[in-house]
Amino acid sequence: MKPLKRHKMPFIPTANLVDIAILLIIFYMACSNFVSQSAAKVTLPKAEALERQKEPLVLVMIDVKGDIYLQGQPVNDAAAVQSGLATLLQDKATEEARMVMFKCDEGVSREVFEPVLSAIVEAGGIIMAVGDSLGKGK
Amino acid sequence: MYRLPKKKELDQEAIPTTSLADMMFLLLIFFIMTTTLTRVTGFVTDMPSGSSAKQAEQEKTPTVTLQGEDIRFNDQVTTLEDLKTSLKARHLELKEGDGKVVIVAATGNVKYQAYYQTLAVIQSCSGVVAIVSEDVKDTK
Repeated sequence: MKPLKRHKMPFIPTANLVDIAILLIIFYMACSNFVSQSAAKVTLPKAEALERQKEPLVLVMIDVKGDIYLQGQPVNDAAAVQSGLATLLQDKATEEARMVMFKCDEGVSREVFEPVLSAIVEAGGIIMAVGDSLGKGK
Repeated sequence: MYRLPKKKELDQEAIPTTSLADMMFLLLIFFIMTTTLTRVTGFVTDMPSGSSAKQAEQEKTPTVTLQGEDIRFNDQVTTLEDLKTSLKARHLELKEGDGKVVIVAATGNVKYQAYYQTLAVIQSCSGVVAIVSEDVKDTK
């Protein structure tokens, strides 16, 4: 009588699994945006047909309480934004480099955001106003 | 006398890497959960500085006034849709320099949502926004 053949358990090579996992971790670490925005709560305003924009390096933010942040650090007023931005943008020649991302809570009143907008302009920045798109973006 | 290590002893000195994959996947899960691959949407507006804004105002350029929840275009109460129609009719995209300027003057308690929508409409009609604040008006 012919003896029964013993089947070997299939072997899954897992040696490279760690390498792949490390590569994925590096990808997520590179793509993660731990921008110091977490401190502030901002509900972005909504408008129709907003375009997708390239994220600038400079960020000015006003949270729901009306507190102003420059590059994630709280500042006292619009004058501080202007002086801080003037320093940040002093060597920037191109339009792209002078782009300033402006994030402001939808409920903030004019007395707070208008001086900040003027301060960005006076410091030589080009405002990129961030919002949520209601309609179809391009 | 020096004794060469036996094969069994060499095997015992290897760094255990079996749990490395588990740790890597825990880190991976952490990054997947915490990462937000956001897409920034908005508009770019290159506003003229104070002096240009004053000049633009002198030349009777189109003016959008925000007062509370009211929107006025050249002193006429309007809606965002009508504002868009009016600005499109002016064909700002064909104009150059100060011809593109649209003054935005806000008074009273105007929220950023209303302001943003107005700026977005002006921007979509190829207008260049010039902010006129109350302080600037008072100095004139």
